[in-house]
Amino acid sequence: MNTLPYLIKRNVKLYFKDKGMFFSSLITPAILLVLYITFLGKTYKETFTSNLPDAFTIDESLINGLVASQLISSILAVSCVTVAFCSNFLMVQDKANGTVKDLRISPVKPSLLSIGYYISTLASTLLICLAATVICLIYVAAVGWYMTVTDVLLLLFDVFLLALFGTALSSLINFFLSTQGQISAVGTIISAGYGFLCGAYMPISSFSSGLQKVLSFFPGTYGTSLIRNHSMQGVLNEINNSGVPAEIIEKIKDSLDCNLYFFKNQVDIPVMYTILGVTVAALLVIYILLNLKKT
Amino acid sequence: MNSIIQIDNLSKSFGEVKAVQNLSFRVKKGELFAFLGINGAGKSTTINIMCGQLSKDSGNIQIDGHNLDENISLIKSELGVVFQSSALDSALSVYDNLQSRAALYGIVGAEFKERLSELADLLDFNGLLKRPVGKLSGGQRRRIDIARALFHKPKILILDEPTTGLDPQTRKTIWSVIAALRKSENMTVFLTTHYMEEAAEADWVVIIDSGKISAEGTPLELKNTYTGDYITLYGTDEDTVRKLGTQYEKIKDAYRLFVPNTEAATKLIVKHPEIFRDYEITKGKMDDVFLAVTGKTLLGGAEK
Ligand SMILES: Nc1ncnc2c1ncn2[C@@H]1O[C@H](COP(=O)(O)OP(=O)(O)OP(=O)(O)O)[C@@H](O)[C@H]1O
Ligand SMILES: [Mg+2]
Repeated sequence: MNTLPYLIKRNVKLYFKDKGMFFSSLITPAILLVLYITFLGKTYKETFTSNLPDAFTIDESLINGLVASQLISSILAVSCVTVAFCSNFLMVQDKANGTVKDLRISPVKPSLLSIGYYISTLASTLLICLAATVICLIYVAAVGWYMTVTDVLLLLFDVFLLALFGTALSSLINFFLSTQGQISAVGTIISAGYGFLCGAYMPISSFSSGLQKVLSFFPGTYGTSLIRNHSMQGVLNEINNSGVPAEIIEKIKDSLDCNLYFFKNQVDIPVMYTILGVTVAALLVIYILLNLKKT
Repeated sequence: MNSIIQIDNLSKSFGEVKAVQNLSFRVKKGELFAFLGINGAGKSTTINIMCGQLSKDSGNIQIDGHNLDENISLIKSELGVVFQSSALDSALSVYDNLQSRAALYGIVGAEFKERLSELADLLDFNGLLKRPVGKLSGGQRRRIDIARALFHKPKILILDEPTTGLDPQTRKTIWSVIAALRKSENMTVFLTTHYMEEAAEADWVVIIDSGKISAEGTPLELKNTYTGDYITLYGTDEDTVRKLGTQYEKIKDAYRLFVPNTEAATKLIVKHPEIFRDYEITKGKMDDVFLAVTGKTLLGGAEK
């Protein structure tokens, strides 16, 4: 079928040309940056140093490196989901302004239209988030680079997986929306709420234990943690090498959400990948079933 | 079988609003079919059902021999639709819009370019290709809408008020393109319009009111049934006109007499040759038909 590439091209172009959709997906990362510059950076630093016994003094660049990794992991974790949502709003917007009629009067199957929205959302999300990753890595390199090649590759893979998650989740939710008002409502909730949910503004470890338990049911949380692990591993190793004992490193990892717990049990990295992978697959299956039912 | 569209007992309600009620009509292959009715009569609803955008409550639709319920995607490939309000992507250029829409019909690459240049010449939009659709004027955008509808060479072109708000020049361009296509491709045109002079050109006219047919026929039949003739009488005075005993109205420099038909006009003139020295007889216009059929004052009393 030679229709699909052009559908995808249309959707991606529309997303980047539509000021509303494109810029609103940048709001959350922008808020994070502002918060970071104004006070989060300092808070992060204080949390971190307070975890260290007074006896230790670590190189300033290590601390900066750690704080920078925390920032970029927050930004990336949030962006993968918010960008996916905003880009996928195209499928609601097409319904709201009647454009979908123009697509549906053609003999093209509705399922192909859905696939078009899905792939283009994934493409836009990956485009933006991978570009963001590159910028973030440049920033980290400037502040203090401790990542290995494997870390970088795993980080890219995490971003990819989280983008898949964001696309699948937004496809499912947007499937039920049809008006401009609903777009704004869901958009606001997602941009404002997801940052909290996934622990981008405040580490999940700083929430009450009840809330932490609730959040441990959100698959997205594990995506954040994966990104955190892979962006911070290098610095943490370096700190370890500089003489800080392993128990303290674990404490730091707890406070930074690198270690997540599901009712007291620590969730290993392979399990996090499994959770995220299974979630994406499940969301996709539901989405496909919904589309099939619609005919 | 020369009916390309057959609609039988079509009904559709939106809650309390009965938009279309037990509607039945035929459209013959190659004809210009005018579907008229006041605002809210149910025209767009009928069109939306015909092209699969809206589900019907009941009834049967056959288009080019295919049943709408069984073969919708075949039907869709034979229809070109210009919606009442344009449904192109405002943010994208004319070229991008047409490219994505053509691809929906499998028209890509060289085939796309060829058809594009054909249509751009025909509808005169070569200069607009790079412009965003949202920034076009109403008439420019309408030409693009029509190009989009014609891209895959549909057998049936459905036009929902294609010329509303356009300047006479653009209307002329559009109609000459459509007339040429009807001739060369034997394309059927299904038109809704509020311009009665466009409807007067139609081969068959259906007028609906509240979702039901209130009149149908050729424009001539409708004029003969629903309107009388006018005699415009010059060079006389009101007293003389009053003596004729027919209904009249004073217009600039003349009097307009209303007679039921041309035969009655002839009788009147023959009876009073001294009064009818300078006059003209005209048939009622489609406007009068429309007003007579849909309005409260039914002239001629010929209600079906
Ligand atoms: N989606 C809808 N939901 C509810 N009511 C509708 C809907 N679409 C149309 N209607 C109602 O159905 C009736 C017929 O509408 P329709 O759009 O078919 O009229 P129309 O003949 O095309 O009028 P116009 O000349 O103004 O375009 C109207 O009363 C309209 O309000
Ligand atoms: Mg209408």
